Amino acid sequence: MTDAASRRRALENVRVVDFSWVRAGPWATRWLGALGAEVIKIEWPENERGRLPSTTTPQHLEVNLNTSGNFNDTNVNKKSLSLNVRSAKGLEVVKRLIAISDIVIENFSSRVLRNWGLGYDVLCRIKHDIVYVSMSGYGHTGRNHHYTTFGPVAQAVSGLTLLSGLPDKPPAGWGWSYMDDTGGMYGAMCALAGLYHRNTTGRGQHIDLSQMVASIPLNGPALLDFTVNGRGSRRAGFPPGNRAHWPGTPLLNNYRGPTVAPHNAYRTHPGGYNDWCVIVCHDDEEWQRLIQVMGSPSWATSEIFATLTGRLQHQEELDQRIEAWSMTLEKYQLTEQCQSGGVRALPVQSAEDRVEHDPQLRHRKMYSPIEHPALGQHLVQNAPFELSRTPALNHSPSPLIGQHTQEIVEGLLGYSHEELCSGFADGTFWPANRTRFHYMEEMLR
Amino acid sequence: MTDAQPTPGPLAGLRVLELADEKGQFCGKLLGDLGADVVKIEPPGGEPSRRVGPFLDDVPHPERSLSFWYYNTSKRSITLNLKAAYGRQLFRSLAAAADVVLETFPPGFMASLGLDYELLCQQNRRLIQCSLTPFGQTGPWRDYLSSDLLHMAAGGEMASSGYDEADVPNGPPVAPGGGNAWHMGCHYACMAILAALVDRTLSGQGQYIDASIHEACALTTEAAIASYVYRGEVLRRQTGRHHAANHTPRTQFRAKDGRYVCALLGGRLNPRFVRNLADLLDTYGMAGDLRDPKYQDPAVIAESTSHIIDDLVANFIASLPAEEAYHAAQERGFTWGVVRAPEDLLDDPHLHDRGFWKQVEHPELGRSFTYPGEAAIFSDSPWQLSRRAPLIGEHNLEIFCDELELSRAELVVLAESRVI
Repeated sequence: MTDAASRRRALENVRVVDFSWVRAGPWATRWLGALGAEVIKIEWPENERGRLPSTTTPQHLEVNLNTSGNFNDTNVNKKSLSLNVRSAKGLEVVKRLIAISDIVIENFSSRVLRNWGLGYDVLCRIKHDIVYVSMSGYGHTGRNHHYTTFGPVAQAVSGLTLLSGLPDKPPAGWGWSYMDDTGGMYGAMCALAGLYHRNTTGRGQHIDLSQMVASIPLNGPALLDFTVNGRGSRRAGFPPGNRAHWPGTPLLNNYRGPTVAPHNAYRTHPGGYNDWCVIVCHDDEEWQRLIQVMGSPSWATSEIFATLTGRLQHQEELDQRIEAWSMTLEKYQLTEQCQSGGVRALPVQSAEDRVEHDPQLRHRKMYSPIEHPALGQHLVQNAPFELSRTPALNHSPSPLIGQHTQEIVEGLLGYSHEELCSGFADGTFWPANRTRFHYMEEMLR
Repeated sequence: MTDAQPTPGPLAGLRVLELADEKGQFCGKLLGDLGADVVKIEPPGGEPSRRVGPFLDDVPHPERSLSFWYYNTSKRSITLNLKAAYGRQLFRSLAAAADVVLETFPPGFMASLGLDYELLCQQNRRLIQCSLTPFGQTGPWRDYLSSDLLHMAAGGEMASSGYDEADVPNGPPVAPGGGNAWHMGCHYACMAILAALVDRTLSGQGQYIDASIHEACALTTEAAIASYVYRGEVLRRQTGRHHAANHTPRTQFRAKDGRYVCALLGGRLNPRFVRNLADLLDTYGMAGDLRDPKYQDPAVIAESTSHIIDDLVANFIASLPAEEAYHAAQERGFTWGVVRAPEDLLDDPHLHDRGFWKQVEHPELGRSFTYPGEAAIFSDSPWQLSRRAPLIGEHNLEIFCDELELSRAELVVLAESRVI
């Protein structure tokens, strides 16, 4: 850590004005921060969404603006400026900040920044080469730009939800906001592409990202099957659960790679809620290896399973047989036996499994402790890649709300201490009638 | 896509060499659609991902894979056998002038050919190489086999997705389809490459990126990790909505036409919300008792959650076609969505307003097809598909003869000896 921490980082000297809230936007700026940018989160406690409501506050702590665990993980590597942008004075402060920044990013619905008097035309006048990334639900253009999303809505409307589930059942969908995670990735990618373009041409731009629209290209092959072949996804046997193909339905590719069997999740010993393993055989050779791993039971050498088409046709029986075997092994044991026998298998892993039991994630140091002033020391999730020269690092916990107000207002923007104090008194930096946190009192001394 | 010179994308002028199969081809597409010149290096005969269906008119052929078509837009293709000594020499020549190498070989494979990053960057200090592999270059699972389904299992996607007990008793964890494990890996790899490119504009130096699909998937389950880390909770799967430690009200309702609507309500039921909800339902005469002043008391709302959701909202949605319920709700400020099939999107006027759909010409077929476009509209340097996926070795002449200055006669010899 110390060696890596001392190294140059990719976004050194890049400053980001971060209006983002809830999850998708903050997930984008988390990575810009890890890559070395100075990310200044603009927050206001009266309409804060991301810290509250919190379902991830440790049981022994009071739920308040500074105790959400998920907020902490989503907002590492940032500073917080509490500021009422909807006041004239607050707007003036944020404009001074934008004037010395590189990126403005937000994930409000489409008209919010314009209504604040911070549309792209204004941003450009303040900083001619600003990279402005808007991450709204439906984008800033198009007749439904005023529609709003959360991850599950973007997933539903874009077709992603329908890809998940068992035939003849309601869609299972995604058990979390996949498009908040992924929308965040697109936000970060857009910011970086815009920054690269600025560094090479000297020109900024507005990047109009839409969470719903960004979901659609994740259905590419299914869409082409329709636009090219006229085949829709509302059809018997789709989606095929964890299988590549649902037995007894027309033999079609289901957009998850090759159409093969076995390709499923199987229960493992001792049969608990997450005691499952997935096994996939891409060809006859891999199937022969699985037979070996299973100890060459006589059923497996039956002719009906010898060919791919036979296995697809008799998939129901095949899966039952495999599960009878998989139930005799614990999931990590089964994984180990399969993989050392050249068979594709991995355990279904809960969050606990990933944090506590996954030997690969442990080896790769996926989770490392970080100390937070209100939450104490907890693990945060690290980058899934190593950049050899400019590492992406979680260098600081999420900010307490308004923690860096003084540092930014006085230190960075050059306002006087008196101006800071009057801004607290008149409701610019904190609602005048709201109890201040102790660190704010210290700022005002 | 006209003959007029298109405005260059943000990555214009960059050369990417892509040695990627199904694991990394989407990353190459992202870079290509963002304007980079992505040269896909395929083994002679073509990349195996050309064998993945569906196929044009259901005729299997390496030039007719719709999956390959989709994931390889805006790229050129050359064929090159890296196991041949001369093939490696040609690759080194290309790498000497490239900006990015993206590869998805098993760890150690490039090094075994004498093509490891240390050697490649000796001749090109600006070179960025990203190795995107199932588990990264190190660790006990480094050499494990994988697949999309395997990553969705180990990454935690499956543990979070599935059914309420009432819908599918004792149901399995469900892996959402569509090849999203590869998407997750590619998004992070793309982000890392872009960061390295930004750094290079100032430092002048490239670097090596070791990216892991398993880690990318393990990172993509929203608050699941935080729920465990901060509260020790292991979340349970629920039909069509978020995993949760304790059962939460349903959000997915069946509409009159048998389609579903995702109607987010839980946790948002306060007096103001209920008034707005009554307005929405009342438009269709379906408000029931929701206008009763008693619902201005948060305690009454809390007691009546099941009535509001399972009776009133469920009946309201059941009385309308799903699309109508969706638009009616959104127009009144409700964050609701219709559960669409991909093909339902083709008629969405909002997407047409944004110019989302692209007509992509396939000149060899004399046809053009509609492709989904880009996630975002860039005002100064468009993100846009520049061309259909390449045919196998379609650009061998352009690259080997025009750029590397081989003669056509040499090209023939190289083809005969399976170097290209």
